[in-house]
Amino acid sequence: MSKRDGGGDLRRFYIVFAAVALVGIGAVGYAVASRALGGAASVPVSLEGIEDPGRLMEMAVPVVDGDPNAPVTIMVFGDYLCGFCATFSLRERPRLLAEYVETGKARLVYYDFVLNPEMGSFLAARAARCAGDQGRFWEFHDHLHRTHLTWGMESGKVGIFQRYAEEMGLDVGEFRSCLNSDRHAVEVSANRELAQALGIPGTPAILVGTGQGMSRRVRDFFFDTIKEAVEPLLAVQG
Amino acid sequence: MGRGSEPGVQPPPRNRMVVSILALLGLLVSLYMLAHALGLAAGTLMCGLGDCEKVQDSPYAWIGPAPVSGLGVVGYLALLLVALLGLHPPFQQSRAVPLILLGGSVVGVGFSAYLTYLEAFVIQAWCQWCVASAVIMVLLFLACLPEGRALRSPAGS
Repeated sequence: MSKRDGGGDLRRFYIVFAAVALVGIGAVGYAVASRALGGAASVPVSLEGIEDPGRLMEMAVPVVDGDPNAPVTIMVFGDYLCGFCATFSLRERPRLLAEYVETGKARLVYYDFVLNPEMGSFLAARAARCAGDQGRFWEFHDHLHRTHLTWGMESGKVGIFQRYAEEMGLDVGEFRSCLNSDRHAVEVSANRELAQALGIPGTPAILVGTGQGMSRRVRDFFFDTIKEAVEPLLAVQG
Repeated sequence: MGRGSEPGVQPPPRNRMVVSILALLGLLVSLYMLAHALGLAAGTLMCGLGDCEKVQDSPYAWIGPAPVSGLGVVGYLALLLVALLGLHPPFQQSRAVPLILLGGSVVGVGFSAYLTYLEAFVIQAWCQWCVASAVIMVLLFLACLPEGRALRSPAGS
């Protein structure tokens, strides 16, 4: 009796075991492979099929600092893993802010031109915009530039950015739910497409204009060079 | 001896079936965490409860070059294999099987208790997968307790 029962027990056990193993391996495999389940979007979204430049401009929402009606627009294209972008953001931008943005002469319009998405700069761009949802974009932006040599080399960037958010006193739950999703993925991807469509060769790239007609690309990112481009525009605007 | 069984033939111990299922669940949880720790998985650790990233990014998530989840994979896999072997006649009577199951589960519970302490008082964040693993390990230990009888038995059966 017991041999047969034992065999029956074992058969039933192996059926249950195989079912648990199959479901479990399937679930783990799916969870690992799928970004849909709580994953943070870390690579650009495909925008294929969006041929209309107007639509691309609409989707490529920049981050704007300063008076929207300022006579001059300074457009900045940057990447968070670019060393010169860090130099521009931490050294030159404060001078631009003091001289032009805070005085209402110009507004600064920032576009993400993610050059190294697989190295984490797409995630960083989204993280900065998630901080921006809480009104702290520029602070986070500068912090990412200050620390890019650290987080750029580390794995677990989501955790690192969450720690930065925590250190800055952001609402970490809100930041986390933003980062662990695909929020801002389309804007950042469209920013990148726009930069490519404009033929921007690299970062940081600075363009200045009056908001009407073509903008002119400045040959480098130093304050004095940008000033040389901005002053004539201000003179024309009166 | 089994319940009124033929001489020399015993039914497979039920507790080892439970141990096998629990070890399999623990192995799956550990494999999922290991994949994230090694950067093999896209995105972040699914974490409905707690702050898994904070726990995973803490220095306690690694012991030297080995991720803690890797130790989990090795431990659960060993318990799983031993429990499965212990279901079959050549190993059913072996004293090594209860010894390994009891010893392994005691070490596992101790290690889980240490990790739970770290989460509660040092890292101050909870990871739902670590908690799940700790619960599985406690249940596994309870399922291993009947092995003590086999160890005490003079025949070793």
